[in-house]
Amino acid sequence: MNLNRNTPPQIYSVDGVEYIEPKSHALSNGVELFTMKSGDQEVVKIDFMFKAGSWYAKSRLDSMMAALMLQEGTETLNASQIANTFDFFGAQFSSNSSYDNNYVTLVALNKYLPELLPLVSDILRNASFPESEFEILRQKRKQKALVDAERVGLVAQRGFLRNLFGEGHPYAPVASPAAYDTLLLSDVKQHYRNFYRSDNMSIIASGFIDSSVIDLIAANFSLSWGEKDSVTTNDSYRLPKAQKSIYIEKEGANQNAIAIGKLFPKQDHPDFPGLKLLCTILGGYFGSRLMTNVREEKGYTYGIQASPISFQQEGVLLIFAEVKMDKTSEAIKEVFYEMDRLTKELITEEELIPIQNYLLGRILEDFDGPFARAQTFASLREVDLDFDYYTKLIETFKITTPQQIRALAKKYLKADSMSTIIAGTK
Amino acid sequence: MIAFEKITLSNGLRVIVHVDRSTPFVAVNVCYHVGAKNESPTRTGFAHLFEHLTFGGTKHIRDFDTPTQNVGGTNNAFTTNDITNYYITVPANNIETALWLESDRMVGPKFTKKGLDVQRNVVIEEFRQRNLNRPYGDTWHLLRDLAYKVHPYRWPTIGLTPQHIEEATMEEVKEFFFHHYAPNNAVLVISGNIDADKAFTLAEKWFGGIPQREIKSHLIVQEPLQTEDRELTVQRAVPIDCFYVAWHMGSRLDPDYYAADLLSDILSGGNSSRIEEKLVKGEKLFTEADIFLSGENDPGLFIATGKLNEGVDFNLGREKIVAEAMKTTETLVTEKELEKVKNKIEAEQVFNEIGYLEKAMQLASFEILGDVDLINTQLDHYRAVTADQIRLVAEKILRPGNKNTLNYLSLTK
Repeated sequence: MNLNRNTPPQIYSVDGVEYIEPKSHALSNGVELFTMKSGDQEVVKIDFMFKAGSWYAKSRLDSMMAALMLQEGTETLNASQIANTFDFFGAQFSSNSSYDNNYVTLVALNKYLPELLPLVSDILRNASFPESEFEILRQKRKQKALVDAERVGLVAQRGFLRNLFGEGHPYAPVASPAAYDTLLLSDVKQHYRNFYRSDNMSIIASGFIDSSVIDLIAANFSLSWGEKDSVTTNDSYRLPKAQKSIYIEKEGANQNAIAIGKLFPKQDHPDFPGLKLLCTILGGYFGSRLMTNVREEKGYTYGIQASPISFQQEGVLLIFAEVKMDKTSEAIKEVFYEMDRLTKELITEEELIPIQNYLLGRILEDFDGPFARAQTFASLREVDLDFDYYTKLIETFKITTPQQIRALAKKYLKADSMSTIIAGTK
Repeated sequence: MIAFEKITLSNGLRVIVHVDRSTPFVAVNVCYHVGAKNESPTRTGFAHLFEHLTFGGTKHIRDFDTPTQNVGGTNNAFTTNDITNYYITVPANNIETALWLESDRMVGPKFTKKGLDVQRNVVIEEFRQRNLNRPYGDTWHLLRDLAYKVHPYRWPTIGLTPQHIEEATMEEVKEFFFHHYAPNNAVLVISGNIDADKAFTLAEKWFGGIPQREIKSHLIVQEPLQTEDRELTVQRAVPIDCFYVAWHMGSRLDPDYYAADLLSDILSGGNSSRIEEKLVKGEKLFTEADIFLSGENDPGLFIATGKLNEGVDFNLGREKIVAEAMKTTETLVTEKELEKVKNKIEAEQVFNEIGYLEKAMQLASFEILGDVDLINTQLDHYRAVTADQIRLVAEKILRPGNKNTLNYLSLTK
């Protein structure tokens, strides 16, 4: 067969995304249950979402410790009994804290839900926070923090967030592993009481959903529990004036980590879809300008990314890389050079079209399969958006012009609006 | 159950197709039977460097990324000690673009001096980022070197030293390609939303004309039986003391593999495992402890590791975990424990059947291993394991003289 390898095969554009809205059910206690059915494997994933992240916590670590303590005991079961039940039925149980919301997640075979859901319900309602498990966890997390403190990449990123938000802000990572020494079990437990309430929860179930799954969820999670008390939430913070340049010394580093960026519009801002496109051009995919320049042409780094990160209350732009020690200032110079170029030159169609297509493919991925769809739905809910956001995103990716991209760069990528954090050895 | 069809093209390329209608995508996954174990001891890290180089385009294609992005796809690759695996995922109607790219990689990348120079730098930065600039980053270098004296598993895929990567020449690059990147040394898996017939037809169209090549793989020297325990102690600028204890075990196709895997799960898989309950929570010796298999194709390692809790005597902690493992050489594990770890394997198997790309990679790696049917039959092997077999396997692996101990101590203490 005579193949012409010089001419690419015909290209078909992404013709549309099948959204499939979740089905919404209300449990008798008012809890919203969303279900997304698909897939042939008899597996379900159930996410219990609580507005209980560090944004709501009295001190940052309380929220994380509360999440991790959930499976360490209930009023009637000890940690070992709980662990044995999950393990025996091959279930994956996790409880994760984040900046805004906390997720308790169960992934299990359908056939074991009758044994597993009562246990999850018990954990959500009656976690007992035993002292000895708390001390074990405290040591474990403190050790992890000590190791993390040796990683220049994490040190730079955490320093970066502290610089933008200010020490003590719920989005600013804790600086010292010693913070674990002063944690109080009573505060952690209080955080649980305040925020793991049925009226602060929603449930997203995805995978092999049938009426028996819905009935089982209703049977186990329709009680009302927890009481609101007079907790005050952190609804207003004054953000500090961020420093332009910070150097964090880490003796004996082999590479320096750089974190460059600023406060940035978050996901619900009208400019966000365009900024997503702009950040992708700059450093959001393998062929991005930063990757091409700093990695592929100069070999200063193994990887460099630019990402717009959205919290519920704030957003940031973060450009991050671990770079060759003796090329640190050159790498930073190239970052600013590439940002500046976006504010001056118009992007060519030849560069823009593949990026648009690439981004449309990523959207298709966000809806590929039940778990991805549920994840996408949950992350939109985090910021009070729905699938309309994607309609807007697709439209923006398709119609944004090079002039509009340059205008966004001029507005948001000004060199003097950036902060630069270096962690490593000078 | 993962349904698939398999044919072999006349040039020796094995083609496997798995249809999954639940996704709008297809994956084109090409796995070459070459990894770090095929490297010469003076050119370690070469297979992985080579993986980087092949993204630099071909005679016909300027670069791989733009055409992939242009059709809404993604591509990537990884190298292990056993294999090098490339994949492209695209919306299903763009399958030909993915086949065009991957088949052209097999026809022959364009190797330029500039490409080699830059990728050498990138890989050396990867070496720094992952192995030199990260606490405990040299663990695998130390442990492999201690446990293996002749088998090429004695170095990790990144290589023994950045120097080997610095010294790689263009001639070596070309020779490596010619003798390893051939249709008769590879497996192509197409999975996702496509008709099987169409997938086979397109595989023939794009890959069928690539000539067979002579595979020049030097014989891999197998590790002789270890007869004396070994121990190495290092001090590093890390905050916490830790250790690794590694015993040699059988290969991935050894019938004992399943019992060894279940044994490691009984000892430390999950929060209800023996190590977690007795030593982490009960005696509070460790903040983290784990027992796991290195999971390679040739005979691998059975490994115990732990990070010591504050104030715990290092040797006492390490010996406790070894002693806990040794108990299984004498006393049978309980039926309840055995059932628990088998249930876990079964659930994981079902979880793994979701995701067209993961399935493609698994099919490829089982085919390279020599038995693609294992993807569906391995659960039966696990189910058949008895408590007696587990005790026998424990006795075989944890025998005196088979142990390699790495003490990784904190310099700051």
